[in-house]
Amino acid sequence: MKEAIALVRADAEAVLQGHLERLAPLRGQHLFITGGTGFLGTWLLELAKVLNERHQFGLQVTIFSRNTQAFAARWPHLGQEKWVTLQDGDIRYFTELPRDVRYVIHAAALTDRRVFASHPSAVAETNTVGTLRILRAATLLEDLQKVVLLSSGLVYGGQPWDLPRINEDFGGVLKCNDVNAVYPESKRLAEVIAQCAISESKLPVVTLRPFAFVGPYQSLQLPWAVTDFIRDSFRGGPIRLMGDGATVRSIMYYSDFACGVLLALAAGRPRTTYNLGSDEPVDLLTLAQKITKYFSPVPEIKLRLGQTGHDRNRLVPDTTRLATELGFKITVPLDAALQKSIEWHRLTGDWQSVPPFSHATKSQ
Amino acid sequence: MSDGKPTITVCDATLRDGSHAYSHQITLEQVKAYATAAEAAGFNFLEVGHGNGLGASSLQVGESLVPEGEMLRAAKACLKRTKLSVHVIPGFATINREIAHAMDAGVELFRVGCHCTEADITQRHIGHVRSEGREAWGVLMMSHMVSADILLEETKKMQSYGAQGIVLMDSAGAYFPADVTAKIGLLAAKLEVPVGFHAHNNLGLAVANSIAALEAGARIVDGTGRGFGAGAGNAPIELIAAVLIKQGYPTALDLYKALDAGDLAAKLFAGSLPESNGVTIVSGMTGVFSGFSKPVQRAAKQFGVDGRDIFFELGKRKVVGGQEDLILEVADQLAKRSKDAGQTPPAP
Amino acid sequence: MSAKKLGVAILGTGNIGTDLMMKVLRSPVLECRLFAGRNLSSPGMTKASLLGVPVSAKGFQSIVDLKGELSLVFDATSAMDHQKHAPVLKELGLVAIDLTPAKVGKMCVPAVNLAECLNEPNVNMITCGGQASIPLAYAIKSANPGVEYLEAVSSIASRSAGPATRINLDEYLQTTEQGLSLFGGCERTKAILNLNPAQPCVHMQTTVMAKIAQPDLERTRAAVAEMVARIKAYIPGYQLVLEPMLENGRLVAMVRVDGLGDYLPRYAGNLDIINCAAIAFAEAYARQRTAQT
Repeated sequence: MKEAIALVRADAEAVLQGHLERLAPLRGQHLFITGGTGFLGTWLLELAKVLNERHQFGLQVTIFSRNTQAFAARWPHLGQEKWVTLQDGDIRYFTELPRDVRYVIHAAALTDRRVFASHPSAVAETNTVGTLRILRAATLLEDLQKVVLLSSGLVYGGQPWDLPRINEDFGGVLKCNDVNAVYPESKRLAEVIAQCAISESKLPVVTLRPFAFVGPYQSLQLPWAVTDFIRDSFRGGPIRLMGDGATVRSIMYYSDFACGVLLALAAGRPRTTYNLGSDEPVDLLTLAQKITKYFSPVPEIKLRLGQTGHDRNRLVPDTTRLATELGFKITVPLDAALQKSIEWHRLTGDWQSVPPFSHATKSQ
Repeated sequence: MSDGKPTITVCDATLRDGSHAYSHQITLEQVKAYATAAEAAGFNFLEVGHGNGLGASSLQVGESLVPEGEMLRAAKACLKRTKLSVHVIPGFATINREIAHAMDAGVELFRVGCHCTEADITQRHIGHVRSEGREAWGVLMMSHMVSADILLEETKKMQSYGAQGIVLMDSAGAYFPADVTAKIGLLAAKLEVPVGFHAHNNLGLAVANSIAALEAGARIVDGTGRGFGAGAGNAPIELIAAVLIKQGYPTALDLYKALDAGDLAAKLFAGSLPESNGVTIVSGMTGVFSGFSKPVQRAAKQFGVDGRDIFFELGKRKVVGGQEDLILEVADQLAKRSKDAGQTPPAP
Repeated sequence: MSAKKLGVAILGTGNIGTDLMMKVLRSPVLECRLFAGRNLSSPGMTKASLLGVPVSAKGFQSIVDLKGELSLVFDATSAMDHQKHAPVLKELGLVAIDLTPAKVGKMCVPAVNLAECLNEPNVNMITCGGQASIPLAYAIKSANPGVEYLEAVSSIASRSAGPATRINLDEYLQTTEQGLSLFGGCERTKAILNLNPAQPCVHMQTTVMAKIAQPDLERTRAAVAEMVARIKAYIPGYQLVLEPMLENGRLVAMVRVDGLGDYLPRYAGNLDIINCAAIAFAEAYARQRTAQT
């Protein structure tokens, strides 16, 4: 476990290099993070720990989530820090922010595809009402500097196959008379709710649209391509793809993700939306191959197991705005990201706690 | 004929903005004489009243010599083609009192203004004016203080309330031409109603900024005779006339009569014509309301402090139009501070 | 202990009502027996529930139902709603403190006319600008015969002006002017309200200006100082930032109001001051009742 923590610590230290000046507005500030025990929240705490211990930032962080106690017990090196305050609650009934908070990250949302299927109305409620509640509470702060809303790259509703990268001005197409639209629509509405708060109360909100990620703290129970592939590889394979593996994604390492969020918090232009993800496309077959090569024996990759045998769609962000305005650069390329993630899961033995169940991977 | 250039609506604010420059002491005779000249020149609108608009005669921003109803009636009697307009700021003017009286006096256009971030306070006033069948525009004051996208958001609110025109006021004379191009350009592209610009000359850019506004798509431009207005004054309306003619905008203006209007303003308000000085320049630099110039100079004298220091401090506190009372508080603080520092302020 | 406290209800669970609740909970003589509104999951209701305050989503009906346990009701709903509540409350024998602009009952500024309001069935808290300016106007009047004209200018943080305030600016001005006339003993009055969006949010400031034929500055300063001390007893954040002075033919005095920051932010002194005034009245009423029994 010590080695796993050291691995993350090294990544957190590395990713912050060169950004300290941009992050300086956060010095001495109280950050409030909703959904703070998820993988993003955990990584944000890792970065905050480095900023406090190595760079004397003097950050106070309050983490709001439904199960902070379990989190503190699981990761005492974060949860028991004295600059971290844990606050339990349900974002749908959020009432009040601590008075001295000047920076808020709203990451609380239901993001699990299985919940989308089983309890779509809970997704609709949590992701929209939660946003209304946190922004309403934010209007009562005396000197609010920034709210970062974590939206989703899925708000675009799909990317044309021939468009290499999607930028923030792409309008998007979603079919709303379809229960499968609940997550992207809930995120779209959350974004509009933020725009309402901007218009009515002049709240300084920055919207981020994250794409796909990999890294330590990610639960391998999540039915995403990259988590499926890593989990199945740990089990010896095979990796099963419904289609021909031509679907295109881009995957960012968590230290870069968390750093992007902090940059947006410190220096993002209020009222602005930024894509946050890797702009390096990778098709699923290549991704599976990149993962399996870290295992011995190399797990088998089975293709075209589905009805049609092919499945192609594309989701790759254009991140020019993030790069030019906030000086953001990816520090961990995909291969290193995969290697680190696999190493971490190996060190923690985390993959063993995942139920021995595997389903073939569809896109997303 | 023009090479496809649009017709520009010219608003003459001499008898309203000039009120600031004249400590609100404009007489009925001056109103009548100037209104006659504005009518002859063919300006589309003549704005009359206290510098801060209807209902603003007060100890806070200065009492008008002549009650506004009398001023409006006197002006109206001199106008035929030129329409009578007023400036209205919710928070000063109420519907039942001042707006109703102005309607009785024959006002045709109500330019309902507010600080540039507060458009929703104009909803009822714009709605009321429209429901009474008069013309209503929305005006954002101190519009240098926020970005173009906020101005768009706020003016869209006004448009949705029924505003039939939108004017950005550079109340502090703080714009540079590039700011005008960006802000007016965005509004002209995104709003359905015509967009206008009201310049102040604190940084010597009133005419240049008005030209930038026209080039960015403005269809409305404000000016005052000889620039008679708050701070270092406005864009001189006779120069606006010259610019429109020279640049080939189709216009029904009578050039000589427009030039005469400027000369008349110089004669009527001799001795009080705005000039650029240290205080007005600092007003522009600090982005503080031009109308503060006179009260700041008065307070500087009474408290024995430097008026420019008052402006810098007001700028730091991001005061908005209507907060004239803070001038005294700031002057008082500055005086106490310099006393504490052991300097004796010069005798008032 | 709590048997001696006066049973009160708060109607309206928005920001004002929630802040009032916090103040009642701190009061040695008031007990919040009911926090009533319509939405049990509103932030105010959630906070009340967490604090163990009895809540109801049955609105005004819950007050009627609980009438036996109540003596006084704070109405923080809307002017239209208070018009309906007022006659019922009167019939039930419940004292109403009206925080809306309905102006049903007697206008009350605790520093000025508390005693004469204590037997009223319904008291109106005028406006935030009124609570800040009227005591100064009253002090100026008491020190100077022949006040010809009074004016009150308030500047508040944009964010402290909610949608109801914004749409009702005209009513705010009119009501504040009526209060100034009544307490300032002068027919000609004017109120002005400025909204300032600066960040960090500006604290409420109110300036009172007067035209007086022969102002007595020394007496005015003494009267104002005494009045400020009296207000501070119930609004701790009320402070004189510009002593009465003469400038350009006008008498000027200015105060700043820092809120207590109970639920509302501290910059919202404009909202705090009206709640503090309401609590000051309710506590005085409670003490009077205890003294009588």
